[in-house]
Amino acid sequence: MDDWLVAIIKVVGIWVWVLLIAVVMTWVERRGAGLIQDRPGPNRAGPWGLFQPLADGIKLFTKEEIIPTKAQKFLYIIGPALFSLPAFSAYAVVPFGDKIILGGKEIILQVSDVNIGFLYILAIGSMAVYGVILGGWGSTNKYSILGGLRSTAQMVSYEVALGLALLAVVFVYGTFSLRDMSLAQQGTFLGFLPNWGIFKQPLGFILFIVAAYAEANRVPFDLPEAESEIVSGYHTEYGSMRLGLYLFGEYVNLVTISGVIVALYFGSWHLPYIDLGAYLGPISWGIVSFCIFFLKVSFFLWLFVWVRWTLPRFRYDQVMGLGWRGLIPLALFNIFITALFIQLTV
Amino acid sequence: MAKPVVKKEYTLTERIYLWEILKGMKLTWGHFWFNFKACWRPGPHTIPTCWQYPEDRTREISPVFRGEHYLQRDDKGREVCIACGMCAKICPAKCITVKKGKREEGEEDKYASKTYPASFQIDLLRCIFCGFCEETCPKNAIVLGREFELARFSKEECILDKRKLLLNYRKAKEEGKLKPPKKRVPVVPAPPKPEKAEGGEIKKSKAAAPGKALKKPVEKVKSTEQVEATQNKEAAEKEK
Repeated sequence: MDDWLVAIIKVVGIWVWVLLIAVVMTWVERRGAGLIQDRPGPNRAGPWGLFQPLADGIKLFTKEEIIPTKAQKFLYIIGPALFSLPAFSAYAVVPFGDKIILGGKEIILQVSDVNIGFLYILAIGSMAVYGVILGGWGSTNKYSILGGLRSTAQMVSYEVALGLALLAVVFVYGTFSLRDMSLAQQGTFLGFLPNWGIFKQPLGFILFIVAAYAEANRVPFDLPEAESEIVSGYHTEYGSMRLGLYLFGEYVNLVTISGVIVALYFGSWHLPYIDLGAYLGPISWGIVSFCIFFLKVSFFLWLFVWVRWTLPRFRYDQVMGLGWRGLIPLALFNIFITALFIQLTV
Repeated sequence: MAKPVVKKEYTLTERIYLWEILKGMKLTWGHFWFNFKACWRPGPHTIPTCWQYPEDRTREISPVFRGEHYLQRDDKGREVCIACGMCAKICPAKCITVKKGKREEGEEDKYASKTYPASFQIDLLRCIFCGFCEETCPKNAIVLGREFELARFSKEECILDKRKLLLNYRKAKEEGKLKPPKKRVPVVPAPPKPEKAEGGEIKKSKAAAPGKALKKPVEKVKSTEQVEATQNKEAAEKEK
């Protein structure tokens, strides 16, 4: 019974937490965009404009839901749901802290520590493309279908590079569980470098982050919704909360991707050179590890915003060329080097 | 002339993108950090390039801005307008109506000249703020001021009569927002077009000759200068 209660609290808690981050992210994105472009951004609703997401939410919820006459109703309705559902469920295997001991019970700060966590993320991540392509197809609009097609081609080609980059990480840690990988990043290696994934897999990290940006349809790979070319791509015909689900799912995706990056490459809840867990009590260490993890995640969330307002969009052939001719050979090379190292050292 | 496209050979670091991306991010970070620091300054005007309009009215408006009209008085407080109707004539939106009145005996302290506008109406709903009326006015009587908040609650309020126009003048004077007196540009006849002849010197004399009797000396110098300039151009082209 206790296990069930803990599981439910974790599920609901992390769901609300991810939602909250996604909500705040919409505000961060707009304020960040403003400040980068020498203007204040939304600053009217509430202190520093913090209530802007609430106002947006109210607006999206109370708008009339219009289904275009020519749209294929079932696909049109199921599209946003299929997009946001994987986004919400992917965070289940990403840790958000070490562990906390409450009433003699050890609770790991992760919704579930499945030993194939890694494959789960890849599989669920690939599901998101269904939402995009079905939304694009169901709208019966040329811009929508173009956006959907672009998204499919892009996601399929970058998934290969993403998977290959992650494979090298699996080589290094010898496990599929994200918690075990996080635990393995404690301490130092070679005497001075923190035992983080990025120092063991520098090339793999770059490949992963580029592929992840493409997977999340973020600038500079936002071709599926390129507004200067195809209006707004797959969600051209969407309005009200259906559009909201698409936009929201994108931010939830960002949270998940940042979580994965931190868990795999940036030492999860570990600080470099110091093991705080040895000094703190079990409860306070749980909270502190959560905070450390969240700080790292928020840096990568900010990086998404920062890159978005720095780079222009790639041309379509450049995106495909970078994916197939740049990232995949490099990822294969990375696997080769990693395998060679492991073979020689272990 | 079209600029020839020079295809640049990219260096390795440029082809890898990453270094260039970092450079770009450094630039955007500079903007972000500057504005982020500016955000904490007191007052509504924090980011230097951005005025938060209804709260922050410190933005400078150019003295030649074309806003709401006013009718000028001279330094003795008399109305300057002579009701000649030139503004009404030139107005492309036909928004000005002027009715002429004759000055009576004993009204010399009210009106500057023998005629004055008995009524003067400007329909702000029609006005396009082109400034032709101001430009054509021989007495600099009608001026487009710096007031730009023109929203009204009814259509009737949008029609400015003489009283409102004079009130606008007083308001502008009190706020020190009167337009600086513009320089009258003397009307000069267009310089004669240089004829296309083969000899430069003959052309020069030809061009200068008809203007000699009529033009003032300053203008003559101008026209000859122009002619010389065209000659130089032609000579340069011939050399090519």
